[in-house]
Amino acid sequence: MLHHNRLRRGLPVACATAVALVLAAGCASRASTAPAGGNKNASTSKTLVIGASVSLTGDFSDSGKAVQRGYQLWADTVNAKGGILGRKVKMDIVNDASSPNQVVTNYQNLINKDHVDLTFGPFSTLLTIPAAQVAKRYGYAFLAPAGGGPKVFEQNLNNFFFVQPAPTTQAGDVFAAYILSLPAAQRPKTAAYAELDDPFSAPIAENIRQKFEAAGIKTVYKQVYPSETADLSPVMGAIAAKHPDVIVGGTQNQDAYAQVKSLVQLKYNPKFMFLSNGANSPLEFPDKVGAANTAGIFSASDWFPGSTAAGSAAFTTAYINKYGGTAQKVDDSSAEAFAAGQLVEAVASQTHKVDNATIISTLHSGSWPTLLGNLSWSANGAPNGEFNLVQWESGKLVPVFPTKIAQAAPVAPKPNWGG
Amino acid sequence: MHALVQGIILGILTAGVYALMASGQTLIFGIMKVVNLAQGAMVILAAYLSYQLFASFGIDPFLAIPITTAALFVVGVLVELLFLRPLRKEDRSELSLLVTFAVALLLEGIMSVVWSTNVRSINTTYADASWTVFGYQITLVRLWAFLLSLAALGGLYLLLNRTRFGRAVRASVQNPESARLLGVQASRISAIGFGIGAATAAAAGSVFGLLYPFNSGSHYDLISKLLSIVLLGGLGSIGGAVVGAGIISVSSAVVASTVSPIWSDMTFFIVLLLVLLVRPRGLFGASARGAI
Amino acid sequence: MNRLKRMGPTRAVVFFAVLAALPSMNLAHWVLNMLVFTLMYAVMSSAWNLVGGMAGYPSLGHAAFFGIGAYTVGIWFQHHGIHSGYEPFLILPFVGLAAALVGIPVAAISMRTRSDVFAIVTITLLFVVQTLAFNLRSLTGGAQGLSIPAAPFSTATYERPFYDVLLVLLAVAMGLTWGAMRSKIGLSLAAVRADEDKAVGIGVRVQGVKLLAFAVSVGLTAMVGGLWAYYEGFVYPQFAVDPLITIAIVLMTFLGGRGTVWGPVLGAFILELAQQYFAYSLGGSQFYLIAYALVFLVVMLLMPRGIVPSIQERLRMRRRRRAAAAPPAEDSAPPGLPSPHPVTAAAGLGAASGQGGH
Repeated sequence: MLHHNRLRRGLPVACATAVALVLAAGCASRASTAPAGGNKNASTSKTLVIGASVSLTGDFSDSGKAVQRGYQLWADTVNAKGGILGRKVKMDIVNDASSPNQVVTNYQNLINKDHVDLTFGPFSTLLTIPAAQVAKRYGYAFLAPAGGGPKVFEQNLNNFFFVQPAPTTQAGDVFAAYILSLPAAQRPKTAAYAELDDPFSAPIAENIRQKFEAAGIKTVYKQVYPSETADLSPVMGAIAAKHPDVIVGGTQNQDAYAQVKSLVQLKYNPKFMFLSNGANSPLEFPDKVGAANTAGIFSASDWFPGSTAAGSAAFTTAYINKYGGTAQKVDDSSAEAFAAGQLVEAVASQTHKVDNATIISTLHSGSWPTLLGNLSWSANGAPNGEFNLVQWESGKLVPVFPTKIAQAAPVAPKPNWGG
Repeated sequence: MHALVQGIILGILTAGVYALMASGQTLIFGIMKVVNLAQGAMVILAAYLSYQLFASFGIDPFLAIPITTAALFVVGVLVELLFLRPLRKEDRSELSLLVTFAVALLLEGIMSVVWSTNVRSINTTYADASWTVFGYQITLVRLWAFLLSLAALGGLYLLLNRTRFGRAVRASVQNPESARLLGVQASRISAIGFGIGAATAAAAGSVFGLLYPFNSGSHYDLISKLLSIVLLGGLGSIGGAVVGAGIISVSSAVVASTVSPIWSDMTFFIVLLLVLLVRPRGLFGASARGAI
Repeated sequence: MNRLKRMGPTRAVVFFAVLAALPSMNLAHWVLNMLVFTLMYAVMSSAWNLVGGMAGYPSLGHAAFFGIGAYTVGIWFQHHGIHSGYEPFLILPFVGLAAALVGIPVAAISMRTRSDVFAIVTITLLFVVQTLAFNLRSLTGGAQGLSIPAAPFSTATYERPFYDVLLVLLAVAMGLTWGAMRSKIGLSLAAVRADEDKAVGIGVRVQGVKLLAFAVSVGLTAMVGGLWAYYEGFVYPQFAVDPLITIAIVLMTFLGGRGTVWGPVLGAFILELAQQYFAYSLGGSQFYLIAYALVFLVVMLLMPRGIVPSIQERLRMRRRRRAAAAPPAEDSAPPGLPSPHPVTAAAGLGAASGQGGH
């Protein structure tokens, strides 16, 4: 008898307590913070809080941390200059653990619980779509330095701005442009494509393939492999057996290293090799494949050491001062994150406002100088520029094409492995 | 044809390493009736240990194996004592799945803190060396890894068949009741058995670190493969684990090189489901009692 | 037993009345958002409990059906525009029905195996479905995923429709559990769980109830998946068919108490709220995963049967001590047979003594 009565009370009490806690937390946060609208029009001395959720743990954590460094570096730099319109900038960075549910919760909380003034984006397309939808619902501008897969632009969100020179899937077009600029005799005749099955990597290689096939470069091999493939020897073995002149890898990072290592082991050296990602990481790539094996490999990049774009030199110096290392070791994800901040600064200095509506309408008109070059956007947030072609020459990653940004001439054909 | 043969060679060489990992897992099941979901995490832990020994002291991963196996043996015994022993017998088979998964998360968490989540690889001077035999590529590291796995499996066989401990283990796998009557201490066998299971993960882990880049999250991919192998071979059967590893590695390497890599994982899952339809206990599972 | 039957509804009415009233209490969006995710897990844990808790078949493949539901809604949007915004909710029952139908042959095959092997077979199934989601590009969009336009609901009450539909699903899932426990079906499931071979031997029709439990369970899970896809706006193979979803619902059910009506729901409310909130506030810390694993281990070791049964057991023990001299109450479980729920124990005994028919 007794235990039934107790039990009957026990559960609802527990539930009620949980509910009460949630309610209390909700009320407390409402009471303690002014409504979002009030915040925007508050006096200029108030701190400008920018919220972003990045992946500090989980699948995307490497790049997530680079993005975090970029955001933080920009905040420090701008605060050293006195902030934006006299307001100190504070980054409110939370972790989404690479989870789609958590990223929704995080932007909900940043916007409605912490009432941040602006939002910056997370790292992956996979997380960008749900996050951008939440930001759109509450009228926030969404500056995303990463995650520009095709599905993001299909959403047609006018608050969304992809802070890179072009949609990610067009990153390889500059390689196609370079190859097709060569005299017919030097052009490759046959091509092989090994593509990672994810929202960006395979489409980059597919875009190159279309351009190559249209120009008469014959496809001798094309295969897509799943993202958890640890062992690429079967794929690369099949490619080596076809003796293609050019190998195009639609790669992310680990698989880029695995492709190179397999080819070294197979002793097959193509005349040209392009890896969409992974090979553009100045720190990781030589470390993983051996510095001598990097020679002649092409990749795409938006920012590179020694770039003369707006604010690039200052960024590089500040980065080295804060995090150490050399210009060669700066991850371009950090540069992209920094560029998102530059845009906010630029809008503020032009309009003397930093509210979301102003940022959205202002960025949609004109072209904006950043350390990634001049950026402008279509209505769906897709940038209108192009990437740069970079190549490993004497152990360094240098821009080689288009000619206006080139610091060295492209090396072709590719030197042999190990040299 | 060339691709097919190259695929088979690669599959067989890879199978050795997986057989070693899976034999530890199936041994643990045989002794304790526990499906160890932390086996993959233990492999990765061993890979990190060899990475660190190589990076800090220049110890070759192959030579580091005695150190890593000893370390992982201790880890295995501790896991058994701390987390599995307290479980009540009637809950053990269900709860052990969750408890070992939690152990896997714990190890992953510790590894992320110690080594961060950046991808690591062990680059020895011979990492890229290979031979060409009749036009087929054989990578030196893979061949050594294969031979080492065979040696370790042989050692495990001798341990189970030629020592008193081995006899006690086999007795308690075959008939726990009579083993107890004969004076075999089941609890001690469990602890040591879990330790040995972890130690085989260590030997395999050093090799895994040489073959593939890895980070703390790599154990998720490993564990799904290991589960398929032990299930295909029959839970508790070491011979089954070796055969299972062979079938799975060869079929996925062949499909990857001749059809498409995107269907290679699917192939062995289908093989597994078909085998289980016909033989719900796996290839060698029906005779699992005594097969170890 | 009679008292037990009467108190369930009272408790349920209070519980659902509070939950139904919450959104009209002017809660902040971020609280409602967390409650939406929590309710999703509460429904799925409750549904999983029908198979994993009551029948003792620990399925690790439920996320496959979550994914099937998510993809059904995602694919539906590729062919239909969005008008009032309520269409996805209207097709949910059909999504559930379709998934249940798919579930029947799957169960018929996989339930030939038991416990550990069943767990692994079902997780294999999950990987097969995930691979198909990646590879059947023309249908699923493959690695590009499927994007879904945002629901055209007003910002002020955006979460309401999702919340209300989930509340209905939770009522259905808990009602089914409650009803099953008090019927022949529940007795048969309990007999399967206690000792399937014996149950077959004494003439319990195990096949039918096993399949029914599995089909209903995965049908409910698929409906949550469909709703999730709409709420999230993006369906991707690794997110829609995610082993971690399965692990989470299993853990919630074990934490709260498997084989009980309230256990899985309680587990979901504790774990999902805690996880969402703590990942937000402390997520930057590298020690997050270690803390999560340690909590997980401590719960398993200290309360191996879950919170609800542990409390029940403790209260029963205390009462037994207090009434040591007095004659025992009529419905206490026999000593030495600690049971997750009185009904299960009764059913186990009933089946053993040949009264499967109740």
